[in-house]
Amino acid sequence: MLKRYLSEAAETIREINRKYETPGIEMSGAVRIALFALRIYLVVLVCLFVYKFITIL
Amino acid sequence: MVSLSKLYYEYRRIWKAVRLFLIISGPGIVVMVADNDAGGITTYAATGAKYGYGLIWFLLILVPIAYYVQEMTMRLGVVTKRGHAEAVFMGFGSFWGWFSLLDLILLNWLTLVTEFIGMTAALEIFGVPPYLTVLAVCTLMSIMVIHGRYWTWEKISLFFCAINLIYIPGAFIVKPSVSEIIHTGIIPNLPGGFGNELFFYLMANIGTTIAPWMIYFQQSAVVDKGMKEKDIPWGRTDTLFGAVLTVVVAVFIIIVTGTVLRGVEIESAAQASVMLMKTNEYVGAFMAIGLFDAGLLGAICISLASSWAFGEVFGWAHSLNYKIKEAPWFYGNYFITLFSAGLVVLIPKAPLVLITLFVQVVAVTLLPAALVFLILLLNDKKTMGEYTNTPWQNLVCTTISVGIIILSTLYGVTILFPDAFN
Repeated sequence: MLKRYLSEAAETIREINRKYETPGIEMSGAVRIALFALRIYLVVLVCLFVYKFITIL
Repeated sequence: MVSLSKLYYEYRRIWKAVRLFLIISGPGIVVMVADNDAGGITTYAATGAKYGYGLIWFLLILVPIAYYVQEMTMRLGVVTKRGHAEAVFMGFGSFWGWFSLLDLILLNWLTLVTEFIGMTAALEIFGVPPYLTVLAVCTLMSIMVIHGRYWTWEKISLFFCAINLIYIPGAFIVKPSVSEIIHTGIIPNLPGGFGNELFFYLMANIGTTIAPWMIYFQQSAVVDKGMKEKDIPWGRTDTLFGAVLTVVVAVFIIIVTGTVLRGVEIESAAQASVMLMKTNEYVGAFMAIGLFDAGLLGAICISLASSWAFGEVFGWAHSLNYKIKEAPWFYGNYFITLFSAGLVVLIPKAPLVLITLFVQVVAVTLLPAALVFLILLLNDKKTMGEYTNTPWQNLVCTTISVGIIILSTLYGVTILFPDAFN
């Protein structure tokens, strides 16, 4: 039963991924720059979290 | 006779406008007042106790900041007829969609725990045990949604928004010096000079003004309410009214603690309530009631924001206009989020302080993304048409968003590394 539930959930997620595969917004230069900056910001933030986690341990 | 008929015409016109506003208003007021949640009340109480009336001017600046961000949210929801979670998936694809959704769900759940911490602490002052508070809150919040009508839910929420005004009589009871409020509060100044501590308080106040769940909540709420493009001017009035209301409440909290508890280190609003009770029983009681109400309003909005977001992405029926059997996943998510967060507070020795701090840290991962997505979506002519951001709106909103991102990030980093800026 659990296996069936998990496979159904995985299929639903795959379906959502297929549905939203292509970004709907026009990928202009400004949009690309903004999304790239966001990625960098998040990577730096995650590095800070990991550093904090390691120093606590 | 002519002037009488003109007067009557004017009266009918204004009354019609007021009635229309009463029908359309709701999401903006609820989201803004709920923004003064348990964490927000603690921040304002601590700010007042630390700096007296000195930072009231700073709160007044927060009115346009909150308004401009939430106005964009409202406009996006009205035009696209989609909640923010779905809009992010559609606009930026599944990577950013999943990132936003999962981050939101985690953040909302943690924030919900802090709302329960505030509510249980508030009612403990009156001798109500935490388990009874959690039980009562869960029951009340269940009753609010089982009617299967958005309208009913909204009106009950607006009633709780009205209770949030309880700080105003409290401020009058403590008899503050009006001239001091005007001289030290309204005129911009930096009490004690600019230092790390003041900077931390400024960041904390900004951090409580815009939370990621607000963007998701209001957008979903205007969709669920069924607002149309012609309602946008009323939606703006609703949002502005809410922004003013939330800052007015915050100012009155600062006046109360700034008058009675000036110079006292405050760690929580519940602690402030107990201390206020020693000076005036009513003022302390008002603070505690207000804290409970703030936590409740926050809980109402946050749990719904999560359910709406899940429903939009997974394609479940996701409206308060559905009965439970018509939207089982939507309500199931709502109840699971609610009950699990409530139960955490009842766990003996649960790391509640750590959770409270963690909320601020997780928020800085989602807030910048939510603001960036919001501005980009509002500039997508294909979707927004004539409601696309104007250059002026872009200038204002981008400036505000960059400011919020910088300050909230610094706030998060300060919590993570308390000595970072020493």
